[in-house]
Amino acid sequence: MTPADFVNLIINGTVEGLLIALPALALTLVMAIARFPNAATGDYMTIAAYAAVGVQVVLPGSLVLAALGALAAGAAVSLIFYFWVFRALRGRSLVASLVASIGVAFFARSVLTFFVGHDQLALQVPMARAWNFGGIRVLPLDLVVAAVSITAMALLFGLLQLTPVGRQMRAVADNADLARASGIRVNRVLVVLWAVVGLLCALGGALFGAKAVVAPELGWELLIPAFAAMILGGIGSPAGAVAGAILLGIAQELSVPLVGPSYKVAVAFSILLLVLLLRPRGLFGTAIAAR
Amino acid sequence: MESREISARRDFLVAGAGLAALAALPRFAYAQAEGTFRVGSLCPISGGGSSYGSGMQKAIEIALAEVNAAGGAAGRKLELFSEDSQTKPDAAVLAAKKLIEVNKVQAILGTWSSGVTLAVMPLTDAANIIEMNTSGAPAISTLDTKDLVWRFQATNDQIGAAFAAAAEKRGFKRAATMAFNNASGIGNTEGFKKVWEKTHGKVVGSIVYEPNRPSYRTELQQILAAKPDVVVTGSYLPDSTIILREWYQTGQDVKWIMPGWAANADLVKVLGNDVVEGVIAVDAVSNEAAASYKHLDAEYQKAMGKSVSTNVYAAMTYDMVISLALAMEAAGPNATVTQVNAKIRDVANPPGTKVFSFAEGKKLLAQRQKVDFEGASSRLNFDKFGDVTPDFGMYVIEKGQIVRKDIISL
Repeated sequence: MTPADFVNLIINGTVEGLLIALPALALTLVMAIARFPNAATGDYMTIAAYAAVGVQVVLPGSLVLAALGALAAGAAVSLIFYFWVFRALRGRSLVASLVASIGVAFFARSVLTFFVGHDQLALQVPMARAWNFGGIRVLPLDLVVAAVSITAMALLFGLLQLTPVGRQMRAVADNADLARASGIRVNRVLVVLWAVVGLLCALGGALFGAKAVVAPELGWELLIPAFAAMILGGIGSPAGAVAGAILLGIAQELSVPLVGPSYKVAVAFSILLLVLLLRPRGLFGTAIAAR
Repeated sequence: MESREISARRDFLVAGAGLAALAALPRFAYAQAEGTFRVGSLCPISGGGSSYGSGMQKAIEIALAEVNAAGGAAGRKLELFSEDSQTKPDAAVLAAKKLIEVNKVQAILGTWSSGVTLAVMPLTDAANIIEMNTSGAPAISTLDTKDLVWRFQATNDQIGAAFAAAAEKRGFKRAATMAFNNASGIGNTEGFKKVWEKTHGKVVGSIVYEPNRPSYRTELQQILAAKPDVVVTGSYLPDSTIILREWYQTGQDVKWIMPGWAANADLVKVLGNDVVEGVIAVDAVSNEAAASYKHLDAEYQKAMGKSVSTNVYAAMTYDMVISLALAMEAAGPNATVTQVNAKIRDVANPPGTKVFSFAEGKKLLAQRQKVDFEGASSRLNFDKFGDVTPDFGMYVIEKGQIVRKDIISL
């Protein structure tokens, strides 16, 4: 192992972490504001990734248009299921909404595969050789993934911290009844929430599709890593979800030279266990989930 | 404050675990007809084997219709119950339980990927029913203590040996291996190592990787650091797609030998001609000269719109139904599953008049003649483990076309 190899591992882990951070953010926002773990998060990603492929079939070559198509599809799917399913379950127990979200996940995937089948697809991404800086290899695509992901996070934090609706979202997260009593229109806040969730999932799905392959189980397989990142960072904390995802990503790549790739996921989860033993709230457990 | 958060988290973890299990349960029961032989189909409709699953199930349906059109086997019609293995052992076990306990099937056909077959075998063995698979793991032979398991695909050892023969023919010197972490992936590369290391010394590097990763750069970095001239993989389509794309981007010169179920037309379509140029694919070849193959090819073309040469596993599942039905015919009316099972070698192995369809075999069996069914997938001829020995094709991807270069007979 040369130092350059070491840096490569950290780069790989960071990029993977930034990718997982997007669904982890979507999960943690729903957890903080709508108060249930949304198991359909992954399938929103899948649908958005297929939408991106669909746009490319109609308009070959355009990555930006494909991404816009994914964003539109992600937001639309998320809002449809909010109005159709989750709005009716507001105020019910966490378990009711969780069960419903699992149902939504299976329903969404079944409808999708009914129309597009089970074959794997891929986004057409220009194939470029990695830039080589003395053994440190950087893929242009990874830079794009990182840049898009970081920009999306910056916009999200701007929305939460600097805009009136962001303040209202945080107020609802803090105490929904108090927020309503003080004149905040909770309905409007929830519509914004689900639109944002859809957009985050869409970006995650499109970037994953560009990096890997687009298949019906794309998002479902990412659900557990995203849950892990959310729990590690502290449930309900956006900053924690990002930190958790990157930490898990780097930890598992760095463990490869020590334990081999078969056990890298186990190492990531041991770190999750360790953090939770020492700090059960997770890394940033009180940020907007302060109750 | 803190305790509320913890209890909320605990609630959701418990609820999540319970529900994930619930949600994976198979669907509803179907009514059962009397006087039929119930066959369960458990093909990989979704997941890693999804390029093949639908075609495999269609081939089962084609064969079943032929058997029933010929009046059934020994007076009984075949009745089909289909489930999706999702190419996942856990999902396949739930589906197999449903087939066995609810549908009361007497045979389960079409399990693909060794992980799935190995997971389903204990259930079929416990229920004393027939299991027919297209999986390669050597352990399937040894764990089959009741001789109820029939393998229509080459074993991983045989495929590994075919990889080694291909690497030999192409003149490679420094081989490394990458294996998907399941019985088949590791079985293929281990089978390769066994043969290769006899003549070429140690492989220069080997790695076992996890499924469903967004990236395999770290794994590639490990393996390319050993400077191999060829990487032999025990892999599937989705992971092969990601690995090849990332390898191409690193720019390091190396050749690839992959199983045919990974290096197929879908791989070319997704990655484009440049990336896959020169990739060597090795896979079992169907029994292309046989009348049974030609017949199935025509039927498959009608049903699926493409040649059965695009799906070697469909030919295997077709043969499963025909050999099962011939064995039923040979065992006579109202035979038990065990009696039917005991006749499978009789109808598929020499000696006997070669037959190429169920109707042909049924006629001769009625005259108390011995038959030897020549399948669409291979000559069959099961050995004492219930394994067939097909021939292999070596293909090279040239300008997006998968071109056959050689036939390898072990």
